Amino acid sequence: MKRLLCVLGWLLMATMLLCQCSESDNDNPNNPTIDPVEVPQGLFVVNAGNYNASNASLSFYDPVGNGYDNEVFAKINGYKLGDTAQSMSIHNDTGWIVVNNSHIIYIIDLKTMREKGRITGITSPRYICFLSDEKAYVSSMYSDQLTIINPKTYSIIGSVTVPKNTAIAGHTGSTEEMAVIGKYLYVTCWSYEKTIVKIDTSTDQIVGTLEVGIQPASLVKDRNGKLWTICDGGYEGSPVGYEAPVLCRIDPEKMTVEARYTFSKGDYLSKLRINGTGDQLYWLNNGAPYRMNISDTELPATTAFDTKESYFYALTIDPENNDIYLADAIDYQQPGIVYRYSATGKCLVSFYVGVIPTEFCWNK
Amino acid sequence: MKKLLHTLLLLLVVGAAHAQDDIDSLIAIDEVAVVGRRPMKQIGVQRTQFDSVALKENIALSMADVLTYNSSVFVKSYGRATLSTVAFRGTSPSHTQVLWNGMKLNSPMLGMTDFSMIPSYFIDEASLLHGSSSVSETGGGLGGAVKLSTRPKELDGFHLQFAQGVGSFSTFDEFLHIGYGNERWQLSTRLVYATSPNDYKFVNRDKKLNIYDEDYNIVSQYHPTERNRNGAFTDFHALQEIYYRLTDRDRLSLTAWYTASDRELPMISTSYAEEEEIENRQREESLRTLLGWERIADRGRIAAQAGYIHSWTAYDRKMSLGGNSSTESPSEGIPDGTMEYSRNHLNTLYGRFSGEYLPSERWLFSAEVAAHHHRSRATGKEVIDEEGTHRIGFKEQRTELTATATARWRALPWLGVGMTLREELYDDTLSPLIPALFLDGELLRGGKLVLKSSLSRNYRYPTLNDLYFQPGGNPDLKPEEGWSYDLGFDWRLGQGKKLSFDGSLTWFDSHIEDWILWYPKAMGYYTPDNVKEVHSYGIEVETTTAWRPTKDWLVELHASYAWTPSLNEGEPFSSADRSVGKQLPYVPEHSASATLRLGWRRWEAGYKWCAYSERYTLSSNGSSITGTLEGYALSNLSLARNFSLRWCDLSLKGAINNLFDKEYITVLSRPMPGINYEIFLSITPKWGCKKSQQ
Repeated sequence: MKRLLCVLGWLLMATMLLCQCSESDNDNPNNPTIDPVEVPQGLFVVNAGNYNASNASLSFYDPVGNGYDNEVFAKINGYKLGDTAQSMSIHNDTGWIVVNNSHIIYIIDLKTMREKGRITGITSPRYICFLSDEKAYVSSMYSDQLTIINPKTYSIIGSVTVPKNTAIAGHTGSTEEMAVIGKYLYVTCWSYEKTIVKIDTSTDQIVGTLEVGIQPASLVKDRNGKLWTICDGGYEGSPVGYEAPVLCRIDPEKMTVEARYTFSKGDYLSKLRINGTGDQLYWLNNGAPYRMNISDTELPATTAFDTKESYFYALTIDPENNDIYLADAIDYQQPGIVYRYSATGKCLVSFYVGVIPTEFCWNK
Repeated sequence: MKKLLHTLLLLLVVGAAHAQDDIDSLIAIDEVAVVGRRPMKQIGVQRTQFDSVALKENIALSMADVLTYNSSVFVKSYGRATLSTVAFRGTSPSHTQVLWNGMKLNSPMLGMTDFSMIPSYFIDEASLLHGSSSVSETGGGLGGAVKLSTRPKELDGFHLQFAQGVGSFSTFDEFLHIGYGNERWQLSTRLVYATSPNDYKFVNRDKKLNIYDEDYNIVSQYHPTERNRNGAFTDFHALQEIYYRLTDRDRLSLTAWYTASDRELPMISTSYAEEEEIENRQREESLRTLLGWERIADRGRIAAQAGYIHSWTAYDRKMSLGGNSSTESPSEGIPDGTMEYSRNHLNTLYGRFSGEYLPSERWLFSAEVAAHHHRSRATGKEVIDEEGTHRIGFKEQRTELTATATARWRALPWLGVGMTLREELYDDTLSPLIPALFLDGELLRGGKLVLKSSLSRNYRYPTLNDLYFQPGGNPDLKPEEGWSYDLGFDWRLGQGKKLSFDGSLTWFDSHIEDWILWYPKAMGYYTPDNVKEVHSYGIEVETTTAWRPTKDWLVELHASYAWTPSLNEGEPFSSADRSVGKQLPYVPEHSASATLRLGWRRWEAGYKWCAYSERYTLSSNGSSITGTLEGYALSNLSLARNFSLRWCDLSLKGAINNLFDKEYITVLSRPMPGINYEIFLSITPKWGCKKSQQ
């Protein structure tokens, strides 16, 4: 039976390939194409929703069977996910969904999608980075506090105060994406900030800071143990300043910038991501996907591949087969759409998700 | 020659200080006298007039409440004392122009007007001008215009009135009116003060709380009953009016309206933060002053006005919660940072000169020139850099000049036509000529049945925020452009009889191009662009039935209904865009309201009702858990008794709002209050007043 399903799945997939990016037109969440509880592995899409509208949602896509389901959290749990969902991370068999403007982190059982617990009391939670079964860090957009939690007890156990930009009166400080190398945690300070902070997780003391450029947001680790970040450069009239965005390679040990690639002023850079093998970087510039090998010495001149006429808002790479998923928020007031491309740039399939798809999370 | 010059002068000039409405009504044709004679100024005009009973129903009402229950425009409200906007005919709130004694009230920065900031007790006359009908009065009313005015009370001697309201959720409303009048002077001071923690209870359907067992497993979940958090407000308004009759024909007026408001912005229903950890507050202080002169002649009227508006608005968002609340690091610097901070200063100078001329019974000419000069300063956070300490933000100014000329002609006793030409100059951008045509035909004599029609083109300029806001402002925006027409009937049956039945039925159709929409950029901020094209059309119906079976009784029913499909017909963003051809978000297709008034001797009972159909929250209109807001109907009931004592008049009133305790929301994640109560006591001492029309 299982085999039959598998064969059917592959057949479906083949049909999809033939159909060239055929749109799944079944976007009615009351009529899902799959039950996510039945599918052991797949891709979660975190839909931020509109600010203050509490219409954030969670979508789930099965890359094998090509089925998908929307509003997974609300349908199974019976209440809304909340306002401005930001990210999802997986630890053991649980999914951790950070809902920024609801000031909550929901922990769901990935087998049932039911809530197992929650953490409240964090100012403006954005991302979670797990260190162990008993320690994880939560970044905050509007705070200089990097919160330490115990994933076992769903409780806050401490915090690390990161330096903040003192040139802006009343500024909150801000932390964003994180990476762990050895016993050190690295975190970008994004909103109105310029630095990357290195924290010794055994003492939770700051052991280094590195000024990289205006507003470093994303942070990824490559196969050589180097860190990469993109500084978005701010905007005209920003209190932190305005400069051309840069892509930086950082030596995490020495906390130095080893290589710096400068974009044009006015480019909109976001979502630096890396493939499963840690040797290819991807990002969005003005809504288009770009790709660069970590060994390249200059920025790519053209987009990674030709895409639909969309302005993409989020990006992820399948860690196993390097398929690229690009999310388009369309007019930001309707369910967005996710396009799946092969590594060679062939559009394989597309499916509608929720309002403003902003992050992805692989359960593999 | 002299006569010609006189005529030209009158034509060139200005409109209305107070006499917004017709000279007809000023030159002694009062409402009662209007029977059988239709005012020239209303040829082809689609207008909804509110009576003073609706405006003065109770001191706790804002104009948002009055419009909700007495018209079919869509009032989008987040609750009492929170942003309440008004949209006509399926357009957006910034397409509703608001005039106060002729001066624009719309914020030049935001484009819209917050009707919760306008106490209905300050308004003596209010009317709606639907669609094209607004063009003769103001530009930019792609949906229509709301005209609000104050008027002298024609007092003879002193007048004093105090009213106290006490409502659920510890809400207190106070109103004081002090007036004095003689043949030359009319003085009036009105004060309104309202305060409330506004912490109404509701069952929060958007979240659940967990009950855990000893091992921290969830054993049960429930929707909590919560209070509206962070919803307190304190609003103070003062209105000073001075009218002076210079001669029989000349009147001078000085009007000043001061507002000080301190309002918290309620927390959204899905917030798990604690109330005391959040500060989300909006404060506003404004002063609007108007100096006016008006001369009424036998065959016309001229008026001049000068005005000044100062407004200051402050928005603060702060939060202090966090990992620091844990026991392990209790003192680790509680984040006391400010998340959002803005201070907006706005100064507007206003001048207007208008005139009306009636050379014969069949012609009416009117013209006006008006100028608004805005100076705005928007400031945000303070930055210390190489250049020293400075505030981020923008400082911009704009001069808006408009000229309007209107001719109305009663070609035949039963047929009237009108034409308005309007020109607007915003800084150095001259709008194309804005024309409006009006037609009016009496189908049954005595105004019993009249056919009305109008057609116009219109523009709305981008607001200062649209152009300059940091970040995101787009200086390349084009004005929104629209054209619309309407066709309908007005009827007035049984005027002056025991049973009367008035009403109107109108079909309208309008297109708006280059509709400005803000949407987020990848970097996390919003930017506006001319992206949409909207086609809205539909039907508006209004009726008033009054029945006076005996001297003691009065039964009056006012009902209105609108059907307003409002469709996005713009270019799709991409092939995946499913918003084309769909109803605009938050625009109900059907809206209705009704008020029933029963009067018997000194008793008055009122029943108010309003209903809106389902609204979509998404441009694609897709159904999802948060994609649609259920339609709802609300009912309010009130009972009042008037007492006339030797030394004063007393009025006691009780009101029940949301009579059937309906759970409803008008905006996502903003639950509204259930059943609630109010009591009002009004005292009008008789001493010192010889005669009062109050």
